[in-house]
Amino acid sequence: MREANNSSVVVVDFWGNGFGMRVRIALEEKGIKYEYREEDLTNPQRSQLVLDMNPVRKSVPILIHRGQPVCDSAAILEYIDETWKDGFPSLLPRDPYDRAIARFWTDFVDNKVFSTQAMFLRSKGDRAKEESKNELIGELKQLEAVLGDEQYFGGANFGYLDVVLIPFSSMFYGYESHGNFKLEEECPKLSDWVKRCLARDSVRKVLPDSVEMYELHKKFYGIE
Amino acid sequence: MEEVKLFGYWVSPFCRSVEIALKIKGIQYEYIEEDLTNKSPQLLQYNPVYKKIPVLLHNGKPIAESMVILEYIDETWKNNPILPKDPFEKARARFWANFVDQKCFPALWKTIWSTSEQYEQNKAEALERLKVLENELGGKRFFGGDSIGMVDIVANFIGFSFRTIQEALKLDVFTEDNFPKLWEWAENFVNCSPVKKCLPPQDKLIANFPPAYMGKTLVSSFQSRLQLPPPGGC
Repeated sequence: MREANNSSVVVVDFWGNGFGMRVRIALEEKGIKYEYREEDLTNPQRSQLVLDMNPVRKSVPILIHRGQPVCDSAAILEYIDETWKDGFPSLLPRDPYDRAIARFWTDFVDNKVFSTQAMFLRSKGDRAKEESKNELIGELKQLEAVLGDEQYFGGANFGYLDVVLIPFSSMFYGYESHGNFKLEEECPKLSDWVKRCLARDSVRKVLPDSVEMYELHKKFYGIE
Repeated sequence: MEEVKLFGYWVSPFCRSVEIALKIKGIQYEYIEEDLTNKSPQLLQYNPVYKKIPVLLHNGKPIAESMVILEYIDETWKNNPILPKDPFEKARARFWANFVDQKCFPALWKTIWSTSEQYEQNKAEALERLKVLENELGGKRFFGGDSIGMVDIVANFIGFSFRTIQEALKLDVFTEDNFPKLWEWAENFVNCSPVKKCLPPQDKLIANFPPAYMGKTLVSSFQSRLQLPPPGGC
């Protein structure tokens, strides 16, 4: 697979993939032009492009820069931050300890929150649903505590952890509908943060419609 | 004067990762062995989210999660880097470290805790993962090139403990015949000076992994001490 332009940037992703949304938001924040190639994840067969560019994991998102693939969303975000550095807004903070905190909570989102929300959407029976719903709300509250009274997780500036978490907000309507609760009541500061992020061009451009996201997830998780 | 402390558990490969990185960089640290059945108040204070080891404490500031700690160590102490400088190569290293951590380790771990019915299936999955690693290693001495890097460090379980445990349990997952390059990597890896200093004692390892297909109670109590997912949950 060759790119015509040596410095071109291509993103292979699926419109409803939260991990890919973060890559696209990051590029938008940095003002980097990219070509978007849609991979239909509702089709179990992966395209030749994905099989060529990510033979090990066969997953998206994939960033292709100068013809070379970068895979795994967290690795891609760090790559974007390191490659477009001087003269561009930074995603990660400068200080190693602050960077460690951002990476720690990214791991929390990717490993804890992601699997809890999957369990919640997949749960059968009122009791299992209620338990997993409370676990999800608990984890969102933990993240809200990290945010504190700051504008963003990055402090005054929209940063790495904001990019990592904001795609999940496109499923907040879905979680609320599925669990019959209002996130604004449970996590008011987090809800305000979502509104603040949605005012950004990068986020507005990339995040899909919440109703469409819920419909997609309903099909995927077999929810009536 | 820098104050560095590591809260760990002797058998945990996640703790070994951190220790190897500290040794590579020549960082002086105090090691605190945790009793996982009776965790110290400090551990609970420094890692309130997961209450797990390893936790690195640097000048009073705690960092948890082994991969996060490795990145912190590399960014704080710049000598003997464990990640490449080039962003593309760095991204590759992070990808492979993640693969070892999320895909290889759980697959190998599952084989150790298999019942006789589960073993063949779990072994097949582990062999598949090791094959991918063998291909990635190719003709390189280490995943990091001429010297060990983050991927090698994260793969320490494959390099040492797994081979010891599999021999004690008479398993046949990682063999020299099946994976000649990876086997050679393992031999070179365990002979590296920083690694040699960090390996858990072989006899203690063997003593803690009694013969395969043990009863459920023993498995579950050991699982909870090691804080690792049950065989079905990886």
